[in-house]
Amino acid sequence: MTRQFKRHDRSDIFMHWFNAACWIILLVTGVGLIGNPDLDPVGSWYPRTLRALVGGGANLLNIHLAVGFIWIFAFVGYLAINARGALFFLREIFMVSPARDMGWMIRKMVIMTLGPKVLRKLGMNPDLPAQGFYNMGQKAFAQASVVGGVIIAVTGIIMFLSDKVFTAQGTWIVSWSITLHFVAVGLVFAGLLVHIYMAAISPEERPGFKSMFTGSVPEDYARHHHGLWYDSVKSENASTGDETG
Amino acid sequence: MASNKGASLSRRDFFKASGLAVGGGLLGGLAPSVAKAAVPDSKWESHFSACDMCFNKCGLVARVRDGVVTKLDPNPKFLKSRGMLCARGNAGIAQLYDPDRLKHPLIRVGDRGEGKWQRIPWDEALDMAARKMQEIRKKYTPCGHLFSAGADLQTQFVTRFAEVYGSYNITSHESLCLLSGTRGFLDTFGEVPFADVLNSRYVIMAGANRFEALVTPDSMDLMTAMKDGCKLVVLDPRFTKTAALAHEWHPIRPGTDMIFMLALMHIIIGEKLFDPEWIAEKTSGIEKLTEHVRQYTPQAAADQCGIPREDIVRIARELAEAAPRSMVYPGRRTSDYENSTQIRRSFALVNALLGNWDRPGGLLAARQVGLKGVPYDPPWYDENPDDRVDAHKVPGMFEHEGSFVITRDAVLKGEPYPIKGWFVYKTNPLVNAPNRKKSIEMAKAMEFMTVVDITMSDTAWMADLVLPAPSYLERQDPCSGLQGSVACACVVKRDPVVEPLYKTRPVFDILKSIADRLELGEHFDFSMDEYRDQQLRGLPDAMDALDRDGVYYNPSKVYGIYDGRIYKTTSHKIELYNKRYEQMGQDPMPVYTPPSSVPENHFRLVIGRNAYLTHGSTCNNAMLHELVPENELWLHPSAATKQGIDTGDTVLVSSAVGQGEIKVRVTEKIREDTVYMLTGFGPLSKGLSLIQDSGASIADILEDRFDTISGNASMHETIVSVTRKVPA
Amino acid sequence: MTKKQLAMVIDSGACIDCKACVISCKVANKVPGAFSRNWIKEQAPDFSGTARPSMHFQPGACMHCDTPTCVAACPTGATYKDLETGIVEIDKGLCIGCGNCIPACPYGARYRNPETCKADKCDYCPERRAAGLPPACVDTCPTKARVFGDINDPMSEAHQLLKSGKNPIVTVVNEVTDTKPNMYYLDKTAPGDWTEPAVVPASMTAMKQLTPLVKGIVGLSGLGVLAMLGRQLLVGDSHEQEENHHD
Repeated sequence: MTRQFKRHDRSDIFMHWFNAACWIILLVTGVGLIGNPDLDPVGSWYPRTLRALVGGGANLLNIHLAVGFIWIFAFVGYLAINARGALFFLREIFMVSPARDMGWMIRKMVIMTLGPKVLRKLGMNPDLPAQGFYNMGQKAFAQASVVGGVIIAVTGIIMFLSDKVFTAQGTWIVSWSITLHFVAVGLVFAGLLVHIYMAAISPEERPGFKSMFTGSVPEDYARHHHGLWYDSVKSENASTGDETG
Repeated sequence: MASNKGASLSRRDFFKASGLAVGGGLLGGLAPSVAKAAVPDSKWESHFSACDMCFNKCGLVARVRDGVVTKLDPNPKFLKSRGMLCARGNAGIAQLYDPDRLKHPLIRVGDRGEGKWQRIPWDEALDMAARKMQEIRKKYTPCGHLFSAGADLQTQFVTRFAEVYGSYNITSHESLCLLSGTRGFLDTFGEVPFADVLNSRYVIMAGANRFEALVTPDSMDLMTAMKDGCKLVVLDPRFTKTAALAHEWHPIRPGTDMIFMLALMHIIIGEKLFDPEWIAEKTSGIEKLTEHVRQYTPQAAADQCGIPREDIVRIARELAEAAPRSMVYPGRRTSDYENSTQIRRSFALVNALLGNWDRPGGLLAARQVGLKGVPYDPPWYDENPDDRVDAHKVPGMFEHEGSFVITRDAVLKGEPYPIKGWFVYKTNPLVNAPNRKKSIEMAKAMEFMTVVDITMSDTAWMADLVLPAPSYLERQDPCSGLQGSVACACVVKRDPVVEPLYKTRPVFDILKSIADRLELGEHFDFSMDEYRDQQLRGLPDAMDALDRDGVYYNPSKVYGIYDGRIYKTTSHKIELYNKRYEQMGQDPMPVYTPPSSVPENHFRLVIGRNAYLTHGSTCNNAMLHELVPENELWLHPSAATKQGIDTGDTVLVSSAVGQGEIKVRVTEKIREDTVYMLTGFGPLSKGLSLIQDSGASIADILEDRFDTISGNASMHETIVSVTRKVPA
Repeated sequence: MTKKQLAMVIDSGACIDCKACVISCKVANKVPGAFSRNWIKEQAPDFSGTARPSMHFQPGACMHCDTPTCVAACPTGATYKDLETGIVEIDKGLCIGCGNCIPACPYGARYRNPETCKADKCDYCPERRAAGLPPACVDTCPTKARVFGDINDPMSEAHQLLKSGKNPIVTVVNEVTDTKPNMYYLDKTAPGDWTEPAVVPASMTAMKQLTPLVKGIVGLSGLGVLAMLGRQLLVGDSHEQEENHHD
């Protein structure tokens, strides 16, 4: 049996799947809350059907609001309890080495869609620069999720407060929040598609996907996909004598 | 103005149908929609009542949910109002729930008018009122106590009380309002007519503003008639909404209406445009009138009133052409000039010449309603003086209405005898009567003054004892008979639609309690239900109809009431020439005297109201206050330019007796020599929270002149200066 | 085309500007303070002497348009045209009071209720209609200038006034925004120049303009995923071996 490298705590795993569940519900209900022929992302049948299903737009809005608040409160709570982890996470995803990470990103995108041969034909080295705890693709999506998530949460709260604290003079803030909420969700959703493919469908990330249940990855996966992290864990372990298993 | 045949036909048919239905004692055409309206549904209960936001008493349906009135709707079965409720009627809900309502009996503890009050229990308040009344009666005779009551269904109890208490001195609101017109028409036709506007083809409206000062059914019927081709000619120094919707508006020089009417008669008689047989049969004095109006040529009239000669001639011919379905509209408030009775008599005489009396489209006699009076037998008081305190000052005063202005002078002089007690119910002379300084002095002359009202009116503000009454939606009232011209003769009643909000008592209960304390209880030993039974004793079906429909109609005769009947005048005919006037030393036919001239840079002040207000009683109503937050002075642009005044500037309006500060609205809707303001604003009382500093009070500025025949106040005789107030 | 079209046919020539409709509506619908769901516009008189001065009063309220610009400005469909009644409704449970619809109405028929903080306007008094009563403004009108009913129902007075051909029918619209209003005036009406072009807030315009972009980005991302998936299925996991070269 290969040695396992621990990547995620149980709480991290829970939060990931909790977040995934919230986002799916919020996305499904949120798209249903758009009801304007010039906007309807999937056609007007969708909000109509969904609203009929839950007994009206007001109910749909309430479901969306409830889940949104559960999501926000859970995250705020999690961050409060696990501030260290959050800081680690934020440092990891926002520490970008331009040469290494951008190179990785471009080459990876070409490899994934067109294949390594094309990359070679373009005269580029198909070898990918070694990556840390997160590769640049993961970082990019994490960044989008964090920034987007904050925007979505804040604009969502503003919309919730619209008919509670905003006066007629302040509604422009609400109105722009709707626009921002919509655009932010759209962009995060675009990233989410890639994230889901890479993590759940693409075979090469299968160990990573499994780690979102088990918490750890095999040594060679860690070495190949997160070389820098692998090295640092190795040296750390060597100095402490501890080995993750 | 384009008329709308299609729509008006159907509307007119509807009214005709309903009018006929009344005649036949049936209301079939209206039944379906009504049944629905009256049926309570699950969300609210519906209660009939009669509006009290002005004098019209329109039938209403109160929608009540959980003991709260949520909406007042018109009673669609109430034909007099043509199934409508105006802005004020709808805002009745804001009167009921007005935070400024009086909630407890209050006794004055500071100086009179200072506004320092103390709550006292009802028993104490009633004991005090009774004790003071008894003291005044002992000291000054029963006539030493004055009673003033406005137009209200319970006013009859104030009159009843005053008479059993022993005072002749009862003044109504009407000597600040309509008595000159009443006098002028009564002294021509022997009774006060109702105008069949609905069926008229030509209406001259002078000194009346029916599309703003709503009178039911005249206001609605005028529009219906106009849609059906009736021509409306308005004479008014002010471009009222009635003028704005009329076929013709003539900005007549104020105070010259009489010569216009005399010139109309000059043409009608001179060109023989009247029905000689009808005139010969029904009237007396045509020869004298023919002679009298010869001097009033259209040119003479034009020179005075400012309306071109050819217009006067044309209008006279058009009016006569449409006769007898044409009229000079009698009007309502006629408290304008010192010769208002004669002015209105000139209106009456034109109508007489048109032969429109008792005929479709003309002036109608009162119809039979059938409501009975409830008689009482006041005790005799030997100590009393011979007559009212305001007696013998004018020849044509109405005994039961009195003259407020003359009474006030008598009180101030203490002659012919002192008056030291004053009981006021639902009338507000401190805001409506001219020359407020005198009204304040009058209040100060009183040893004890009791006011019963629903809010702290200006008059209540001057009182010793203020007693809170329930609003019209909280109380039981006697039945009231109403005349609705061609629309109906009907009876309405009022029962509480909600429980009283506060510990208020209706004036009936208050007077009954005082009567008990004065050992006059035998004159009030009945309940309201018993009283109503007495009123309805000749109408066995009425109570059922009132409970079912909110209104009872008497299918009495509309036209031809005078067929084979004599007129209630000295000559038993319509009096073109009034013999009694001759005997009294008055002009038996109206003689034109020019109004006082308006000096350079001065203006004649005219007053009025709009469709959103009933003088002082509604200015503080929260909903109506949204529509009219303050009063403004209308000033013509050329006059404004001369004085360097702009719209929005605050000006000082000064007369010989007082002044007021008010914002200006520069507008061409008024003649250059005239200014106008709304009544009801500029209160003394601090208990009317919305209208503090809300403009000027007419009472402060107007001079206290009166009509020399009826004693009605003359409110358009005041000349004022207008000066811009330089901001401090 | 709606099955039913509740509408008002107004004889504005009969209006005397008494404002009974305004107060009645305010009471019936608990419209606060200085706000109002309906109005009476006035044609100012001309005192220049060229013609006899006169005025014309024009009652109005939400016109329950066939192509309502307020509906187009609402992101959620909280404001919608009810095809059963023809009424432009506001779903108060869905409306969050973003205010987009208010300038979008050329007639100023909407206001943001300061008590509920939601958009509000005439809805022809549903509670009253359910109880068999006319809308508050219609019921109370002294000259019965407002006639209310289903203009698609040949039995209704509104239909008969509208379709009889006896009277010319006019609507009040401006040149920029014709919302196809269902508020009809008999013969002629004035003033006619008080409507404003519909203003859709910049945020809503931006949202509409950004929608294709957002859809494009999501589409591109989807395409990328499809490409990867296609490659995975076609080429299998050969890339993994190639990737292993750098071992």
